[in-house]
Amino acid sequence: MTEDFDSTNIEDFEAKDTARKLPIGWLILFWGLILWGIYYFVMYSPSISGWTQEKAYHESVKK
Amino acid sequence: MNDYQYDHQTVKGFIVSSIFWGVVGILIGLWISVQMWKPEFNVPPFFTFGRLRVVHTNSLAFGLGIGAIFGISYYIAMRLTKRPLVFPKLARFHLYLFNAAIALAALSLFAGMNQTLEYAELEWPLDIGVVILWVIFAVNIFGTIIKRKDEQMYISLWYIIATVIAVAVLYIVNNLAVPASLTKSYSLFAGVNSANVQWWYGHNAVGFVFTTPILAMFYYFLPKSTGLPIYSHRLSIIAFWSLVFAYLWTGAHHLVYTPLPDWIQTLAIVFTLFLIAPSWGSVINGYYTVGTDWNKMQTHYLTKFFILGITFYGLQTVQGPTQAIRVVSQLIHYTDWVPGHVHMGTMGWVTMTTAASIYYIIPKIYGTEIYSIKAANVHFWLVLIGQLMFSITMWITGIQQGALWKATNADGSLKYTFMEGLVKNYPFWQLRTVAGVIFTVGMLFFIYNISMTIRKGKALAASRA
Amino acid sequence: MAGELYRRPIMFAVVATVVILIGTIVTMFFPMFTEGMHPRLENLKPYTALQLAGKDIYMREGCNNCHTQTVRPLRTEVMRYGEYSKAGEFAFDRPFLWGSKRTGPDLARIGGKYPDAWHYKHFENPQAFFAQSNMPKYGWLQSGKLDPAAMEAHMKVNGFPYTQEEMADLPSKTELDALVAYMQVIGTGVKKAVPVTVAAMAEEKNPLAGDPNAHERGEKVYEKECEACHGDDGRGGIGPRLTDDIWLNKEGDISDGRIYEIIANGTANGMPPYAGQLDKDKIWSLVSYIRHEQHKTK
Ligand code: HEC
Ligand code: HEC
Ligand code: HEM
Ligand code: HEM
Repeated sequence: MTEDFDSTNIEDFEAKDTARKLPIGWLILFWGLILWGIYYFVMYSPSISGWTQEKAYHESVKK
Repeated sequence: MNDYQYDHQTVKGFIVSSIFWGVVGILIGLWISVQMWKPEFNVPPFFTFGRLRVVHTNSLAFGLGIGAIFGISYYIAMRLTKRPLVFPKLARFHLYLFNAAIALAALSLFAGMNQTLEYAELEWPLDIGVVILWVIFAVNIFGTIIKRKDEQMYISLWYIIATVIAVAVLYIVNNLAVPASLTKSYSLFAGVNSANVQWWYGHNAVGFVFTTPILAMFYYFLPKSTGLPIYSHRLSIIAFWSLVFAYLWTGAHHLVYTPLPDWIQTLAIVFTLFLIAPSWGSVINGYYTVGTDWNKMQTHYLTKFFILGITFYGLQTVQGPTQAIRVVSQLIHYTDWVPGHVHMGTMGWVTMTTAASIYYIIPKIYGTEIYSIKAANVHFWLVLIGQLMFSITMWITGIQQGALWKATNADGSLKYTFMEGLVKNYPFWQLRTVAGVIFTVGMLFFIYNISMTIRKGKALAASRA
Repeated sequence: MAGELYRRPIMFAVVATVVILIGTIVTMFFPMFTEGMHPRLENLKPYTALQLAGKDIYMREGCNNCHTQTVRPLRTEVMRYGEYSKAGEFAFDRPFLWGSKRTGPDLARIGGKYPDAWHYKHFENPQAFFAQSNMPKYGWLQSGKLDPAAMEAHMKVNGFPYTQEEMADLPSKTELDALVAYMQVIGTGVKKAVPVTVAAMAEEKNPLAGDPNAHERGEKVYEKECEACHGDDGRGGIGPRLTDDIWLNKEGDISDGRIYEIIANGTANGMPPYAGQLDKDKIWSLVSYIRHEQHKTK
């Protein structure tokens, strides 16, 4: 006895919906975060922008 | 007994064991929550806060979490491959070994055998046991999938496969140590490097224990229990690959402003923020799936568990990335904000989704209905209230703590001593205990409901025989 | 999308492994082979057997669940705890003990902050110092013995040098001795920087001299911050008597400004610095209080 007692087939679900387009809001989020990531990486990488947390500290105590 | 029935006994065994360890962990959670405002509740040597806290995290992450993951993944794998497990006896052995390992783990942690790596506290002999557990699981899961009758692998299987691979790599590397005796070892890694390895592990323990296997459950049980197809298969594909890709880069967000090299921190922060996208891919998929028929929230009691679960996941995955940003980390790192974040994930997302999956599985195994939908609804509301109260009180405390630590007088000196800040946490910590009690009562309703369903199922099976 | 992938589990697993390994290699594996990950301060010393035993106890008791050991390079944090942590300080910690939660204060600069006597008294009963502290009592460690054979094995695994005399000495020590020895060495690889003093001390005379209530305000601060060490009314305890004419072991009176300085900057022998925690007015009120008590006893 190896019958499957689940009546609905999940695979059928898949076949039906594959055609759907990705939600536009989500796509904006996806690409937006990548762009932001590039910006942030450039701004806060010592070898690119020269920023380091130690320098930032010393500046904050100088005043 | 047919093959499926035998395997289902194993699935049930894992579920019952995980609930048992869950109860142990939650009671200890309540205990340590009291210790934080009433130190008299420390009972040395075995039951001081420093030792109990790791028993709490281990029995819940490994006992409740992984126990449920093993059992429910076996169930999902059988359903999706349309065949019983390839090695049913091995799976049964897996169950026994699992319980022995967790019991020994708890005892060894009470005894203070602790590597002090968060979520990898167990000493090396137990680590070997844990690796064996995962190897057995991997063998059974891969074997069953390879021998499947059905062609396409559904999303849930992807997440389970990714879980097995990632946990294997993470767990082995982070636990590499040189033993000095049976109960004591020293990590292979030292200083800054060990910090980097540990949090690469630590964050991905969250990623591949509290996220991917739970998503596997979500993607399987949501459509199954509501009868609604997942909104977009394409979205699941992109979300899956970008999630498993990005997760591994982010560990250093636990080490912001530590002596870890700046570039590793920055890279981690970048990928951490990016994680919002794949995480919300799943959230949106969940919402749109039920969005075709919101009535299900009222008409089908499990729907709200899944939707609230994924909502908490959504909140976690916005909160988490925000915490990684340097300015935010300055304020909330090391404070109670973090336990607030943690418990929204564990109590809201993980426990909620797992409980709902168990509500689905247990009656299915016995060919019966859940004992009481009313009790399930009470469970839902108590757990929801308890968890919200927990996280909200901890967020407030966390921000307050962070602000007090930073506050300065006009002349630049610090405004508050450490103790002046600490004292202000007490009312919130007391409220947290109340929140924990509410949550625990909710879980008792769950346990009662499940055990009555099992009893009903057994009676039914007896009358059929 | 390549639908084929989702039909072939082994191929799928291989692709997933590669995807998982990319981030792993870039952020975890590769850095392991760079110098930046293995720095060591020049004057950092390996732990002695006693100190290592203390560190083992620290790990066993899970002190890291309440205490961190890393000071971030942030202004107020450096004021509260001392010089920010340097990568090279942790070369002998396997693993690191930075922690992730500050239920109690950071301990990265605890070494030398207090006299040994303070630690013994504090571990025995933290609430005697701070009635509302939630730190558990650890006096029971006094009945714990150290095992030289085990410690020898631990020292060997860590590759720390040790002498036989050192080992022979261990049985005479308790676990509490070890823990205190460990406390006193944490963070001492970095030279103690002068605390970030807020505006240098401007006055030599107490600006509150004419204020009749100053000593009462000072008394309040004293009871909270100083009494645990200097005793009731400054009569002495772990710290010296404040009402006599002996200052830092030297006979003869000193100026108000000098007392201010001692309180603000602390000393090398166990008087903690308060400049970061108490504002000028509070420190001067303490000076007023000390003078007031002196007069009373004379
Ligand atoms: C429940 C949390 C908790 C645990 C566990 C704990 N502590 Fe504490 N600890 C505190 C708090 C709160 C304070 C601040 C109040 C006080 O001094 O008692 C503190 C203060 C300290 C201080 C004084 C720090 C300073 O700068 O004044 C030291 C040293 C210390 N703890 C060491 C330890 C050690 C060693 C352990 C483990 C054996 C430990 N603590 C375990 C909460 C904890
Ligand atoms: C951890 C214990 C401790 C605390 C807390 C403490 N002190 Fe001290 N204090 C000492 C010790 C030890 C010395 C001796 C230092 C030395 O000889 O270098 C000392 C020395 C002094 C001296 C020099 C007195 C003398 O006779 O040599 C003054 C003044 C003083 N402390 C004031 C204060 C004030 C005011 C506070 C509270 C804000 C305070 N102390 C808190 C331990 C402490
Ligand atoms: C009654 C319910 C619970 C209570 C009262 C409770 C209480 C606590 C307390 C007091 C802490 C320590 C916080 C600190 O050090 O400041 C903690 C930490 C933790 N708990 Fe719970 N807990 C509960 C449920 C859970 C559940 C269900 C899980 C997991 C499935 C969980 C996982 C964790 C984890 C992972 C941590 C460590 C957090 C960190 O390191 O920041 N807890 N819990
Ligand atoms: C995209 C998703 C997530 C991101 C980016 C994220 C990010 C973070 C960050 C930055 C911290 C460190 C906070 C600090 O110490 O300053 C943290 C802590 C934590 N998070 Fe998340 N989080 C996410 C989702 C989750 C989820 C779903 C859970 C589920 C339970 C979870 C559990 C935890 C735990 C247990 C800790 C505490 C670790 C410790 O200090 O012991 N997180 N998270």
